[in-house]
Amino acid sequence: MKKTLLYTSLIFGAFIFAYPFIWMIFSTFKPNAEIGNIQLLPEMWTWQNYKLVFDRIPIEKGFLNSLIVTSIVTLSVTIFGAITGYAFSRLHWKGRDAMFSLSLFTMMIPFQITLIPTYILIVKFGLTDNLAGLIVPTMITAFSILLFRQSFLTIPQDLLDAARLDGCSELGILFRIIFPLSKPVVVTVAILTFVGNWNEVLWPLIVIREEALMTMPQMVALFAVGGGSDSSVGAQLASALLLALPVVIAYLIFQKHFIKSMASSGLKS
Amino acid sequence: MIGCANGEEERVESEQHLKTITYWSSPNPQEYELAKQLVEEWNTQQNGVRVKLQALPAGQSSEEVLLSAMVAGTTPDVCSNIWPGITNDFIRANGLYALDSFEDYEQVMGERVPEDILESVKAKDGHTYQVPWKTNPIMAQYNTKIFRDAGIDEFPETYSEFLEAASKITKDTDGDGRVDQWMGYRDIRPIWWQRYYDYYTSYITASGGKTLFSQGELNIDEQASNEVFRFYQQMYENGYFPQSTMQGNAFLYNRIAVEFTGPWNISFLERNAPKSLEYNFAPLPVPDNYEGEVYTYGDHKNIAIFSNTKYPRESWEFVKFLISKEADYRLLSFASQIPIRKGLLTDPDFVSFFNENPKLAQFARQAAFTRGVDSVRDFKEILDAVSRYYEKASVYGKMSPEEATRDMIAAIEILREWNR
Amino acid sequence: MSMPYMAHLSLFFVYPVVFSIVLVFHRWDVVTPMEFVGFKNFIRILSDEVFLQSLINTGVFLLLHIPLQIVLALFFAVQLNEKIIARGLFRTIYFLPVVVSGVVVTILFQQLFSFETGLINQFLFAVGIDQVPWLVSEKWAMPSIAFMATWKNVGLYVILFMGGLQSIPPELYEAAELEGANSMQRFFHITLPMLNPTVVTVVVLSVIGGFSLFIEPYVMTGGGPMNSTLSAVLYIYNQAFNFGHMGYAATMGLFFAVIIFTVVKVQRKFIETEVY
Repeated sequence: MKKTLLYTSLIFGAFIFAYPFIWMIFSTFKPNAEIGNIQLLPEMWTWQNYKLVFDRIPIEKGFLNSLIVTSIVTLSVTIFGAITGYAFSRLHWKGRDAMFSLSLFTMMIPFQITLIPTYILIVKFGLTDNLAGLIVPTMITAFSILLFRQSFLTIPQDLLDAARLDGCSELGILFRIIFPLSKPVVVTVAILTFVGNWNEVLWPLIVIREEALMTMPQMVALFAVGGGSDSSVGAQLASALLLALPVVIAYLIFQKHFIKSMASSGLKS
Repeated sequence: MIGCANGEEERVESEQHLKTITYWSSPNPQEYELAKQLVEEWNTQQNGVRVKLQALPAGQSSEEVLLSAMVAGTTPDVCSNIWPGITNDFIRANGLYALDSFEDYEQVMGERVPEDILESVKAKDGHTYQVPWKTNPIMAQYNTKIFRDAGIDEFPETYSEFLEAASKITKDTDGDGRVDQWMGYRDIRPIWWQRYYDYYTSYITASGGKTLFSQGELNIDEQASNEVFRFYQQMYENGYFPQSTMQGNAFLYNRIAVEFTGPWNISFLERNAPKSLEYNFAPLPVPDNYEGEVYTYGDHKNIAIFSNTKYPRESWEFVKFLISKEADYRLLSFASQIPIRKGLLTDPDFVSFFNENPKLAQFARQAAFTRGVDSVRDFKEILDAVSRYYEKASVYGKMSPEEATRDMIAAIEILREWNR
Repeated sequence: MSMPYMAHLSLFFVYPVVFSIVLVFHRWDVVTPMEFVGFKNFIRILSDEVFLQSLINTGVFLLLHIPLQIVLALFFAVQLNEKIIARGLFRTIYFLPVVVSGVVVTILFQQLFSFETGLINQFLFAVGIDQVPWLVSEKWAMPSIAFMATWKNVGLYVILFMGGLQSIPPELYEAAELEGANSMQRFFHITLPMLNPTVVTVVVLSVIGGFSLFIEPYVMTGGGPMNSTLSAVLYIYNQAFNFGHMGYAATMGLFFAVIIFTVVKVQRKFIETEVY
């Protein structure tokens, strides 16, 4: 009896979370007049909504732009995060602790305060309407440094000493010895950065105006708000589904890593 | 990857020893298609000037895009989607090229553009920086079948008639207890440009062709503003316009009878409407005691040359090509938009077209009675303020029309004071 | 080795912070030259009712969103922690909205919340309940957005709570059972107190996330009805990038940042004294 109640409740929960997505998938194959109906399956299947999306916005370009930006940012955040995290944890230099406090402090400053000056900086560098304008400001993050630092602190000093005796450079130690030992944190940083960056929309809205350079979420958001979709609900949903697809596929393949990484983001406090 | 598009462009240029000018058109599908055709023809003429076409990004207002391009120094040579409300900002930033410096300017403009309109685009410094290109008057588009079924033969001319028609048309057609056919629909979100299609256009109509400013000073016709607030308030109060953000195009599916819109919607409907949809256009309703011509808001778009162009003369030649009679004819017939051209309705080259397309002829006739926006700083912010009071008074009935007008004027004065 | 970071930090943190302090004393539309205006921007903030409203709205959002989130996350976490089959599958489904972009969720819910044709109202109508004007009434719009945000994020907090639940030593329950405590008593006297640190984490994370509310009202309501969903970030965005008031927007950004900073600090204080 108790079990039945438990499963009913769990299945109801699953229904609440999954049904909107299922409804969205089928709705993208419905003619617009049908979308308001309560039944799930289309009476008349159509590709029209997808056709309208591809006709109106270069969404494949948006995908490519997002991929370029997100890949470079993820790579850069991981590498520089590790290097800096290493410097903060295993090297001794003057001002290290002060610098580390400063980087903790930057995490406490809300982005609202730096948003407009950073935009102006990007304008001055001539990086508006340029993918670099999306990449450069987020190439290194304090959060990734913090995660790497915490993880690197647990590595035994003997290992490093041995490597130094063998004549390894500091970068050599970091990437040949420490990196392979720190896979979990590398995966965590990479996934968090990737998902966060892929879904970012406020900053691209500010920096990119030229359609051919827009990221995918930006393009889809503007398609839905602006007149581009001819107020076709089906096309708006289709564009949203296309936007969701890459991350959802990655999630379904690497779900254990996703869940663990994103949950660990909550443990910093 | 980044910036490779630019590199390519330069290579082409140096290979062919051509002068290249960049032209930005509106992203509206028909208009962009037309621009593509015109540019292609221009480029095949082989006159030593190559035009590179790019559409302004859809979904964002062109003004934002152009302003940021100006900041970044990436403006095009020519743009045909300039909203007159923003040109003052461009001129202040020395962003535009004075067109009257070309020797054939007087002749070209004199032939095409009516004098009063030409006068209205003159800047404070006496120069002219823009060619009045086209206007899209806002009219009432209505579903003739719904009106007929409700026993109404003539589209209502006054607010009272409109209300009465609305009471007959708004109803539950399938008997499930929910209203599913409304008189009309407007996007109620407080987004500034949405007000062009309700408050602002109706204000121009109710005031007999006034705008919010006269000679640079705020001068709102309070009587007209009250009437407009009250008109929409009654529509929402009685449920004739649904108090909601409807999803999808309700006009296509016979769910609303009236939409306030421009001529561009004709080509949209021709493409998307089911065969059974019958529709027509009429002037907007006026206050009951109103007499005189029915004015409306006309979405004017102008052409300008940006001052950082390397080839002003060549750009001017291209602009002349864009406003030639042939190009104007195609703007009308292909993109269903109304060129600003002298004697449009009487010109024999256009008359037969209008005879075959009576719907567009209505817009062309209405075009003579349009008003645009005031070229003042902060116009967007002013419409944003209008939006807030429209929402409060008309959509949600939380204040009287008189209070709304009074508070709105005060709010606009305050924001202008802050921005001074 | 920390040179790249220091360079990046000075460019994208120190410089913006310093520049924003300069900006608050100026008027600037980015296009024309900057103009010094003294304390005008600060005076304007004090008389700007809309900004005040946007701050209140952000607070209202947090007050609706956080309790709902904690209760629901706990509810599902406790159930998922039982011995059940297909736990992995349930977890995968609950977590799905977390990874999807806010833009997707927003476009989706705009349809679901639609008054006439939305799925939610269709369901309500089918079971004989009056339709609810979700996004178009002053009363419902912000709760709707809070509900949507909860739907999107709750999966993350389910996982956090599950972690918390698993760290509770089973002996505690066994001891309580021996003393004859029923499941309700066990939940309120053992589970909840032991989960306190997780609750704190959830609150801190949701507060930080909630302060940056932007894309939901930007797409769904434009800040309406009657400014009821205008978040502080949306208002700052409009002032800066729609109306060209960079100086004023920077001033509001500074003001807002001070509020966030204070809230987070107070939270920390509270946590340090109450929990540990």
